[in-house]
Amino acid sequence: MIAQKKGMQANPSHLLPSELIDRCIGSQIWVIMKGDKEIVGTLRGFDVYVNMVLEDVQEIETTAEGKRITKLDQILLNGNNIAVLVPGGKPEDVDGTW
Amino acid sequence: MGEEEATVKEPLDLIKLSLDERIYVKCRGERELRGRLHAYDQHLNMILGEVEETVTTVEIDDETYEEIIKTQKRSIPFLFVRGDSVILISPPLRS
Amino acid sequence: MAEAGVVVGEAKTPSDFLKSIRGKPVIVKLNSGVDYRGILACLDGYMNIAMEQTEEYVNGQLKNKYGDAFIRGNNVLYISTVRQQ
Repeated sequence: MIAQKKGMQANPSHLLPSELIDRCIGSQIWVIMKGDKEIVGTLRGFDVYVNMVLEDVQEIETTAEGKRITKLDQILLNGNNIAVLVPGGKPEDVDGTW
Repeated sequence: MGEEEATVKEPLDLIKLSLDERIYVKCRGERELRGRLHAYDQHLNMILGEVEETVTTVEIDDETYEEIIKTQKRSIPFLFVRGDSVILISPPLRS
Repeated sequence: MAEAGVVVGEAKTPSDFLKSIRGKPVIVKLNSGVDYRGILACLDGYMNIAMEQTEEYVNGQLKNKYGDAFIRGNNVLYISTVRQQ
């Protein structure tokens, strides 16, 4: 109980970032990498470095020539170059331009 | 000798088995090294001997916009490679 | 969350994934965009990888073949299973 109270003081939202990611297991997730790359897939698991196991993956690369999409079965994504995680996947109407 | 394959339990074992052999090293910055592996550590810092270094550069022709790929080679008797520049290491083909 | 044992049971952590792909054909993509296709021999906690029968693809084109290859983990973007036909 004491530990929990301490946690609540440090994190008034009552939800740790890792708990949020944990709630995404089994659902679609949209991963925006540092650089011009995005990855969409079903989250199967992750570790303390936020390396992630993803299934039915689409890798979206935005280059000068346009978009290139690679489909992959199951991947282990290195957490090192992840910038942003969006639970629920990528909405259809987002085309990558701001 | 046949047990060599069985001793590759972790990736660095592949490097251990290449000691005193000629290896290929792909580095950052389009740099390739071929030389004899004298020593290495867990960071992949390496001492190589009798090294041939190949540097590949791509230039764009100002007028035709064609890509001009240039390779420069030089021999270095002995060198130290800092591990963080290493991308890939390939031991010689075993036969 | 602790009582949701089913969810935890279904989760496949990175280390589960790595155990499941040893000896299997994989694609390793580097941050530079270069792909390596081959048989995964082994790997460690840094994502250093040892591969066999490795083929190097740059922009989808085969550029090189290596019997054995060691890839330094810091360059790795992802390790993927190969879609079974």
